[in-house]
Amino acid sequence: MELAFGGAAGITVLVAYGVLMLAVGLITYLRNRHVRESLDEYYLGGRGLGVMVLFFTFFATQYSGNTVVGYPPTAYRLGYQYLVSIPFFILIVAAYLFFAPRLYALGRRFSLLTPVDWMHIRFQSKAVTILAATLMLYALGNYLLEQFVAIGQGVSGLTGGTIPYQVGVVFFIVIMVAYSWLGGMRSVAYTDTIQGIALLFGVFMLLIGSLLYLGTPATSAEVMLAQMPDKIGVPDAAGRANWLSLLLLVGIGAAVYPHAIQRIFAAKSEATLKRSFVRMAYMPFVTAGVVFVVGIIGISAFPDLSTAESEQLVGRIANALANQNAVFYWAMVLLFGGVIAAIVSTADSVLLTFSSIVSNDLYGRFISPEAAEHRKVLIGKLVGLVAVVVLVIIAWYPPSTLYQIFVLKFELLIQTAPALILGLYWTRLNSRALFAGMLVGAVFAAVMTFTGLRPLGVFSGLWGLMLNLAICVGGSLAMGVSEQERRRAVEVIGSY
Amino acid sequence: MKNTKEPVKSPLVWILFAVIFALINPWYFPAGSHAPLIWGVPLWAWAIVAASLALSVFVTWVVHYQWDMRTDDNEDQ
Repeated sequence: MELAFGGAAGITVLVAYGVLMLAVGLITYLRNRHVRESLDEYYLGGRGLGVMVLFFTFFATQYSGNTVVGYPPTAYRLGYQYLVSIPFFILIVAAYLFFAPRLYALGRRFSLLTPVDWMHIRFQSKAVTILAATLMLYALGNYLLEQFVAIGQGVSGLTGGTIPYQVGVVFFIVIMVAYSWLGGMRSVAYTDTIQGIALLFGVFMLLIGSLLYLGTPATSAEVMLAQMPDKIGVPDAAGRANWLSLLLLVGIGAAVYPHAIQRIFAAKSEATLKRSFVRMAYMPFVTAGVVFVVGIIGISAFPDLSTAESEQLVGRIANALANQNAVFYWAMVLLFGGVIAAIVSTADSVLLTFSSIVSNDLYGRFISPEAAEHRKVLIGKLVGLVAVVVLVIIAWYPPSTLYQIFVLKFELLIQTAPALILGLYWTRLNSRALFAGMLVGAVFAAVMTFTGLRPLGVFSGLWGLMLNLAICVGGSLAMGVSEQERRRAVEVIGSY
Repeated sequence: MKNTKEPVKSPLVWILFAVIFALINPWYFPAGSHAPLIWGVPLWAWAIVAASLALSVFVTWVVHYQWDMRTDDNEDQ
């Protein structure tokens, strides 16, 4: 896309942003020199994140650059059918209410560091721990890969190709790894805060500019009524089924993002966590809601775009606004800086969680439990770095060459949900049935994804989950649990 | 055993959640209808936005009145 502000202004903002992030990492390091001595300090910010920072770090895991760049085009193509994106994001927060209270309490009691850590405490099964850790690492790796590709494309798009894709990827990854290493979770959470504010500011300027210069929902309504009434009317049966399945999927899926769950453990107190959740519950109106309206305005401002052209809707709108005056010119430059920032802030959280699982659940649990904590942290960082290097090599050429194995994420993560959620409430859950369900569900979902099978239009991950649940619940009911296993379960979750 | 409050254990939480979940799905308007438009936005979309707001208020209510695991008590001692 041709941008009025490509080139120098874009480069300035990106470099300034990179320097700011490094400064945050350095200051965090200087103020918390012991940060790399302990797993709690490095991966959970000493379990001391306050309301504001905790809120923004949740915000950054939930909203990525894709929310800004990808959602308006979808609203443009689907019209009001895509209004579902607002309840969708609120539902993620609502879903947390059904497991986060107990998980936070357990996190405090057992000093839990990762979701896998919880499974180990609950089931004490080497097989479950290793399988869950493997599924999570694999999926997190693919998330990272996706973010890296998005960084490269975003940077080269913003600067009109002045900064090539590969340079953008390497520049931001080096900065990201540097500030993560310097300050751990604290750096990540503080930069998330800056990134979140930049994104919110940019998105609001995008809406204000669109309303001032491009049109209103009313002008788009006229266009839709005249030419495409299905975009403004109540969805038909198929549209409603789609709407419902999206909400259901989110309801189940919200639980499985390990980097989001880890943030529950990082809260300073129950009160802090609660206050952050309440704030999150209203954010969809100013994030998903705002970008939805922008997409709707696009319908009258840029009519008749093809699907491929509509993907660049935000670029077109930003370009139109940047040409109006200096205020919007700089606001749009900041918006695109914010988009890149949001992608980086999603990537840094994923990388930190990746390293924590290696440090705590694999190396610290099975390979060298006696090692000093700073050594465990170091191993996590180094393995994380190796993963980053491998992923950068894969991401070196843009994604048309990416194979299905690099697409599997959510399909696999969702298979760990029974261990995580059922384990919280059901003392008769049999760990062997749980393991078998997780394994079969993951393999089944992967095979269905590779072969492109989607019976009844239902997402492959959900088919895997249904099979997984059938094995896990059926197996537990059929086999029962040993007296010892049951006593252990009661000891862990029985007091709530 | 401490006197704790947990959302999953409250039937009222589940009932309200089910009602609001039903309301954030647009089944209660005839398919294809769009009138009347209010500020260029169809009424059914306003209804979904209102139901979404109800979901946010529900989250606030649950957090304040149905969630108290007494985790913070220990730290005060």
